[in-house]
Amino acid sequence: MAGHLSPCSSSSSSSSSSSLNFSHPSSFELRKSLDKFLVLPRKTQEPSWVPRIRSRNSSRKSFQLKSSNGHSLSSVSLHDGSSLVKEHFKPNVQDSLSPVNSGSEKSELTYSITVVGASGDLAKKKIFPAIFALFYEDCLPKNFTVFGYARTKMTDEELRMMISKTLTCRIDKRENCEDKMNQFLKRCFYHSGQYNSEENFRELDIKLREKEAGRLANRLFYLSIPPNIFVDVVRCASIMASSTSGWTRVIVEKPFGRDSESSGELTRCLKQYLNEDQIFRIDHYLGKELVENLSVLRFSNLVFEPLWSRNYIRNVQLIFSEDFGTEGRGGYFDHYGIIRDIMQNHLLQILALFAMETPVSLDAEDIRNEKVKVLRSMRPLQLEDVIVGQYKGHSKGGKSFPGYTDDPTVPKDSLTPTFAAAALFINNARWDGVPFLMKAGKALHTKRAEIRVQFRHVPGNLYKRNFGTDLDKATNELVLRVQPDEAIYLKINNKVPGLGMRLDRSDLNLLFKARYPREIPDAYERLLLDAMEGERRLFIRSDELDAAWALFSPLLKELEEKKIVPELYPYGSRGPVGAHYLAAKHNVRWGDVGNEDS
Amino acid sequence: MAAFSSAHRRSHATTPYSPSSRPRLSPSDGGHHRRVALSSIPSRLALRAQSSSRLRGSRCANAVRLHEGAGAATIIPVENKLPLKKSEGSLSLTLPKVENINIGENESTVSITVVGASGDLAKRKIFPALFALFCEDCLPKHFTIYGYARSKMTDAELRNMISKSLTCRTHKRENCEEKMDQFLKRCFYHSGHYDCLENFAELDKKLKLHEGRRISNRLFYLSIPPNIFVDAVRCSKSSAALTKALKQYLEENQIFRIDHYLGKELVENLSVLRFSNLIFEPLWSRNYIRNVQLIFSEDFGTEGRGGYFDSYGIIRDIMQNHLLQILALFAMETPVSLDAEDIRNEKVKVLRCMKPLHLDDVVIGQYTSHNDRSTTYPAYTDDKTVPNGSLTPTFAAAAIFINNARWEGVPFLMKAGKALQDRRAEIRVQFRHVPGNLYSQKLGTDLDQATNELVIRVQPDEAIYLMINNKVPGLEMKLDHSNLNLHYAARYSKEIPDAYERLLLDAIEGERRLFIRSDELDAAWAIFTPVLKEIDEKNIVPESYPYGSRGPAGAHRLAARHNVKWGDLSTGQ
Repeated sequence: MAGHLSPCSSSSSSSSSSSLNFSHPSSFELRKSLDKFLVLPRKTQEPSWVPRIRSRNSSRKSFQLKSSNGHSLSSVSLHDGSSLVKEHFKPNVQDSLSPVNSGSEKSELTYSITVVGASGDLAKKKIFPAIFALFYEDCLPKNFTVFGYARTKMTDEELRMMISKTLTCRIDKRENCEDKMNQFLKRCFYHSGQYNSEENFRELDIKLREKEAGRLANRLFYLSIPPNIFVDVVRCASIMASSTSGWTRVIVEKPFGRDSESSGELTRCLKQYLNEDQIFRIDHYLGKELVENLSVLRFSNLVFEPLWSRNYIRNVQLIFSEDFGTEGRGGYFDHYGIIRDIMQNHLLQILALFAMETPVSLDAEDIRNEKVKVLRSMRPLQLEDVIVGQYKGHSKGGKSFPGYTDDPTVPKDSLTPTFAAAALFINNARWDGVPFLMKAGKALHTKRAEIRVQFRHVPGNLYKRNFGTDLDKATNELVLRVQPDEAIYLKINNKVPGLGMRLDRSDLNLLFKARYPREIPDAYERLLLDAMEGERRLFIRSDELDAAWALFSPLLKELEEKKIVPELYPYGSRGPVGAHYLAAKHNVRWGDVGNEDS
Repeated sequence: MAAFSSAHRRSHATTPYSPSSRPRLSPSDGGHHRRVALSSIPSRLALRAQSSSRLRGSRCANAVRLHEGAGAATIIPVENKLPLKKSEGSLSLTLPKVENINIGENESTVSITVVGASGDLAKRKIFPALFALFCEDCLPKHFTIYGYARSKMTDAELRNMISKSLTCRTHKRENCEEKMDQFLKRCFYHSGHYDCLENFAELDKKLKLHEGRRISNRLFYLSIPPNIFVDAVRCSKSSAALTKALKQYLEENQIFRIDHYLGKELVENLSVLRFSNLIFEPLWSRNYIRNVQLIFSEDFGTEGRGGYFDSYGIIRDIMQNHLLQILALFAMETPVSLDAEDIRNEKVKVLRCMKPLHLDDVVIGQYTSHNDRSTTYPAYTDDKTVPNGSLTPTFAAAAIFINNARWEGVPFLMKAGKALQDRRAEIRVQFRHVPGNLYSQKLGTDLDQATNELVIRVQPDEAIYLMINNKVPGLEMKLDHSNLNLHYAARYSKEIPDAYERLLLDAIEGERRLFIRSDELDAAWAIFTPVLKEIDEKNIVPESYPYGSRGPAGAHRLAARHNVKWGDLSTGQ
């Protein structure tokens, strides 16, 4: 895999290009060493921080005018809180802030968002719609430009046609939807070019400059492309198309390598052209509403924190399931498998957020410091704590569902797991001995993603006779359902109303749909906005990534070297029985396959 | 109100027919009678055997299950299926039951006499509750219901009167008419004076007629004014004297002091919540709980029936019993078992740890008239049955403290009132702030708005909800207070039985968990008596508040003094 990344070493000489803001190796090294001791000042040292504040302020202003419920005001307070500290550390920034805040200059700021790989599926389905949603939520500055970049030849009009098919308005904003779409599409342009051509990116730069028209320009590149060309694009973009007045940031999405080595190599190559601060590694699960809410639940409610340890929690389950297979698009997947595709990133990130110690503040660095700590406290996965599975063909009701290897894009003898379950342990004072069970699979019977926290038995339970013999049925459980139908519920034992003393498990329930009628924004909206605002809380820092790979790499290697054959399970089933054995070994029952499912 | 049960001497003599022709409510002579007083237990066992064999529905079977769980000590004979014939002379705690079981289930009967049958409570609550128990198959196959009162009435007239207030549960509508007819056929009336032995002897004869040769258990429900509970103590209003007087004729075991709030579904559920969920018990102390609020409000006044109320006042009517009982259940330590005596022991302990109320910690109020557009709501003293200068409180708020390791310093605030803006009864548990809250900037300056709160709503619309801070979905980081909610109407489709059904069934079965023991009663009075005396002696004038309002401002000052905000009046709910 490292071979894919070779361009970076061959062209490393060009990294000294002066168009990069922060390529000065000495200052970079200095900052890196400083980072070990100082958490906050890092961001303040980059000049591009100034426009970030400005952009946030301006977007706040416009929001403030339009929003009647004050939502954005509080969103701002988060940043105000953190920036207060920064200002304290770096008083000189304040000076540069003051002119920025004056109303006259607000319109002078512009954002250029370039979607590299604009003709791809993710771009069409997620990224352009997310940018549009931010636009009609008034979260973008007055001036912005969206550029599509890909190899396909296309005119601006063709791009707009393509995008417009996937744009939708939220239900509560239907009124001027057409108008808004037209306004948005007018800001969208296309530039065709090769991913490794500096010349093509220079042309893009010229077009960008033209749209930016001398304003203070921030540039965001969204790399919606296969990982083997990440480095090419980053090289060309950073050299030829970096902003000279504002910041330049790059969003990349998984896969970040296939193991510790290739991931480290990718990071190293990216850092030849970019600062860590410029790289925004997306794990779009971190942008999900309930995952964001996890920290709120834990840290702003007194009733949960006392319970959040091995004293009360028996096990934690992180469950991800899809009710469809690769459906003819298994080429990419086959190279990675479910563990790399879902577990090592999405589920592990959620686990880290769940299990981390209380951070010093909500500042991105503080949170990520805690995540790294808890990841490093975990035991690397052992083969015996993992089971892998692969779905096979299945006929039901006259309809037949194909097996994984029936997919024409998948090699016939593929051993790639489409299902995996794993037991992880955290060797720290809080979690010693508590199994964290993960389960992820394709072509299962439901589509869901959830976090289940199973509590211990009540010691000396007065009501145990009312529960019968199975005390496992009588423990409390907290469920955060990430999808579908976001919800939080707490299973409690309750007396069934009536003359008898019969107990049941009822839910203290918060169904988001019922409580919050507004549509919940897509994860990509949140993450794009955060990237533009420079809020790094939900992005993955390189040391986090290293720690995450360190847990999974040995196991993945062993699986591949020993050619472990995955256990077959029928398409649409509940997965291989091995998952139950694994859970049983740790005295756990999967919460999602109990008889009171939900 | 009180109920007492009496077994009809089956164990006392070898024949079910007692030689004594007058109602034997006075086992005043010795050890045998003392045991006899326990004879509600045999009835329960017989009932249980019967119900488990006969009942379709799960309700009663479950009720039985509880008792097996709870009353382990008394249940043993049943579980072990001890030989049934035992000497009748040795009336030990357990033997009589065994002996009774031998008679066979068809041979037992229960006679329920509602004394004060023409009264309002009897009509509205007791007869309907009995009918509901009948519908649910919770009564033994053979039973007799007698109404007793001074009014002259025929059986048919009584039936006619009762039938108006009987209703069937929604899910049992099918043969409702039929059931009603069956039930009414078992109802009879006997007219007599409350203090006339002769009249009760007549009743006894009639009861015997119905009971035949069966083992007869008798339950008397005293739905009459307290001054005739025991005619011997007519002039004494004090609880201790009443208890003493009652005990002249009855064993403590025969007395079932009802606090109908203890029969409410959510009050029963309180212990289940606390003791069968791991997540609550760690929080249940001064470490996490900032204050507890017990709130009772009615949205109507005395409405022409203030005569009884005026001599008691809201503190005696609601606080000293209903709210204090709930508080005791809430705050007690974990009992050894669910057995009635174990629970009541813990309740007495926690009641005895409470500081007697101080006048400073009590606010009293009385409602005044109020004009709302076209309607005029009368003041308390406008009630014709209330003396004009009455100082009786129709509203009271109090702060109670428990001096033990678990609760020291936690204010337990009670509030009870008539003619307020809404009708509700609820328990609110306000938790402390999150120490070092990371989100404090999100929560604004008022941290009080951002604490967790557990609300157990007893009425209306039974519900349990936990107010948590939650992120408002959206791109911003805004927090709100949302509820983790369990709304009974949504979760449980079956109608929730009336408190009286539960309590009557428990009395018939001899389950004392929800009845008040005399030492509990003493402890409860000990908390309130000094302040009640002081209020009376000093002629403390209640603060007036308009009919339909939120009550007097003094309640807020009282709460504020203890750093509390009333949860029912805050912006949340």
